[in-house]
Amino acid sequence: MDSLALLLQDLSSIENPRLVEWDWISENFWEDIVPAIQGHIYLSFVSVAIALAISLPTGVLVSRYRKAYPPVTFVTGLLYSIPSLALFGILISIPGITIGPTPVIIALVAYSLLILIRNTVAGLDAVPAETIDAARGMGLTSSQILFKVELPLALPVIVAGIRIATVTIIGIATIGAYIAGGGLGKMIFDGINRGFPTMIITGAVLATALAIVADLLLLALERYLRPWARRRRT
Amino acid sequence: MSGILDVLRRPDFFELLRQHVLLSVAALLIGIAIALPVALVVRNTALGAALAVNVGNIGRAVPSLAILALCQPFLGFGFDTALVALTALAIPPILINASTGLREVSTDVIDAARGMGHSGGQVLTRIQLPIAAPVVFAGIRTSAVQVVASATLATFIGGGGLGELIVEGTQLNDTAILLAGSFSVAVLAIITEVGFGALEKVFTPKGLKIAQKRGR
Amino acid sequence: MKYRTKLIRAIPALALALLAACGNVGDSGGSGPSSEEGGGGPTITIGSKNFTEQYVLGELYAQALEANGFNVEKKLDLGSAALADKALQNGQIDMYPEYTGTSIVEIFKQEQTPGTPEATYQKAKELYAQREPADTMLTPAPFNNTYGIFVRKQVAEENDLKTLADLAEASPKLAFVLFSEFKTREDGYPNMQKNYPAFDFGDLVIVNSIGGPIYQGVLQGEGDAGVGFTTDSQLASDELVVMEDPKSIWPFYYPAPVVRSDVLEKSPKMEGVLNEVSASLDAETMRELNAQVDIEQEDPEDVASEYLEEKGIVD
Repeated sequence: MDSLALLLQDLSSIENPRLVEWDWISENFWEDIVPAIQGHIYLSFVSVAIALAISLPTGVLVSRYRKAYPPVTFVTGLLYSIPSLALFGILISIPGITIGPTPVIIALVAYSLLILIRNTVAGLDAVPAETIDAARGMGLTSSQILFKVELPLALPVIVAGIRIATVTIIGIATIGAYIAGGGLGKMIFDGINRGFPTMIITGAVLATALAIVADLLLLALERYLRPWARRRRT
Repeated sequence: MSGILDVLRRPDFFELLRQHVLLSVAALLIGIAIALPVALVVRNTALGAALAVNVGNIGRAVPSLAILALCQPFLGFGFDTALVALTALAIPPILINASTGLREVSTDVIDAARGMGHSGGQVLTRIQLPIAAPVVFAGIRTSAVQVVASATLATFIGGGGLGELIVEGTQLNDTAILLAGSFSVAVLAIITEVGFGALEKVFTPKGLKIAQKRGR
Repeated sequence: MKYRTKLIRAIPALALALLAACGNVGDSGGSGPSSEEGGGGPTITIGSKNFTEQYVLGELYAQALEANGFNVEKKLDLGSAALADKALQNGQIDMYPEYTGTSIVEIFKQEQTPGTPEATYQKAKELYAQREPADTMLTPAPFNNTYGIFVRKQVAEENDLKTLADLAEASPKLAFVLFSEFKTREDGYPNMQKNYPAFDFGDLVIVNSIGGPIYQGVLQGEGDAGVGFTTDSQLASDELVVMEDPKSIWPFYYPAPVVRSDVLEKSPKMEGVLNEVSASLDAETMRELNAQVDIEQEDPEDVASEYLEEKGIVD
């Protein structure tokens, strides 16, 4: 068993592991790294989409019926304050919810509700009353006003909220790997478990890069949309 | 339910809670000690302030797990490593808010103050700081909640804290331990949020409070 | 204005379309919805716990089955004995490698384990067969992977530590690096304390993974003592001294595939394939395979396929 002896000579590597092993990265790029990125984007995208699908209508409703706003803010704010690992823990102890992407997506959606609803309401609030009156005067129905006037004008603020929500989601999705949610967090955890800094660094750097890219893209979108909301400084 | 209470009565629960609070408080204080002076230094230059805000924004985008994990290969496992990572996480919200807050004090107000004969330092202490205070404090509050939440992850790099209960409960498939850990962290985070919210009101100068009320 | 409203209307539609398309992307990284049944053979889902030896064993069994006409799906990241068992019980996985001693103490919560490896296996097998839904624990691989408590060399020299009893005496001034499960499991730290009541480490440093981080922790000084597995290659390091265990306080932990009985009935061929893999392993070999992952940083999947080819189990 000389091979074992030779391997043992390599033990120094566990005491002082090399920080980045570029060979590992190039070898495993398509096998492990790209799927991890894909999984992460999938988790984030699905969560933002679902969160938007819930928040936009809710935001519209709540901006109309203001009495509902404080309780909605309270509940979503409460959800937002619960640390991610804790929320994951609570979700997987519910019978029927097993570890995997599902509880991760539920939690990610829950986290973004506050900011998305709040920004939808703020954006709609910022639409000047005169503009709405003018639209009414032109004979537009309520729903036409909503879709053709209010929402477009509220868009920059809504996108600002989407931007914050997306960055937050990308970050928390890394933790989701702990309950088998997949994504770049899995590389981070595996790297810690195996004492292999290359995996940790690769996962962490890529997750950060993903968040920053998303942030910049959405910031650009926000700025592009902004001229239309010049009337009121947000 | 009784299972959860049993976990809370465990001798190590208090130790984990203590570690969690200690980590959070220390990280927040050191973060403030670093971020505020930087914001003060750059307050009068547009470039400096913009730089600070940009650095802060990048810092905010970094996932908390990433920072904690990245410190591990360099600094090893343990409380100290977790503290360094959490401090790094605490800085961005404070830096962003303090820089923006100090810059946003409108130039008219500053000119008026100078006109009244205030020196640079007096402008700072009597005008800029009090007006910027609510914004700065909001930043500290955001940072505090974030630190308490991220301290949950310290367990992954041997830093202790209440996250350990969550991990233990997950691994042992023991709902009582899991929920005990999750609830205690959630409660801690909510207390932090509410507590700092109250403190924020204390730090808002009376004049601003009145202006805020009128604005409504 | 028109363009803008179209944009708004398009967003939800786009989202839904991408959602549908992304349904398949979720398979990456070992998570997400299970794939449909592929070619001819039945689909077996193999799970494993989340440390090196488990990954290697999981891959070995998975690839051997694949080579014999089965469709295999791997869920090699189930966190712990409790989680893996839960997944087995509710059908998320069809089998996973478990240790005889672990099943008795951790899964069936019995305090005592039999005194011989064979009796341990028989007891575990019986307990699995008796429950609902029943499982079959196949013939174990012929090696024991038990706990090894080790200390850093200087610590051993300074305190003259050779056996667990010595360590127990010195423990109050030492720090012990361990993983979460070990702290609470009956056959873990409590077992050490039961046999040597003097055990009372001054500090317990909990890292949440088995293997690598514990060795790192001890070697780098975060702790003085640590717990590892006897098939870990790191234990052979000159820098570490394993404490002797004259009282043999640990149960026997022989790894064996635990398969849902209903699944096994439908595909009896599995037994032969899995047994062939198990029989080919021994402590020395396992250590080497583990070393390739932990020290050489090779992928468990590659390590497994190389080994299976070498042994002629797979062409």
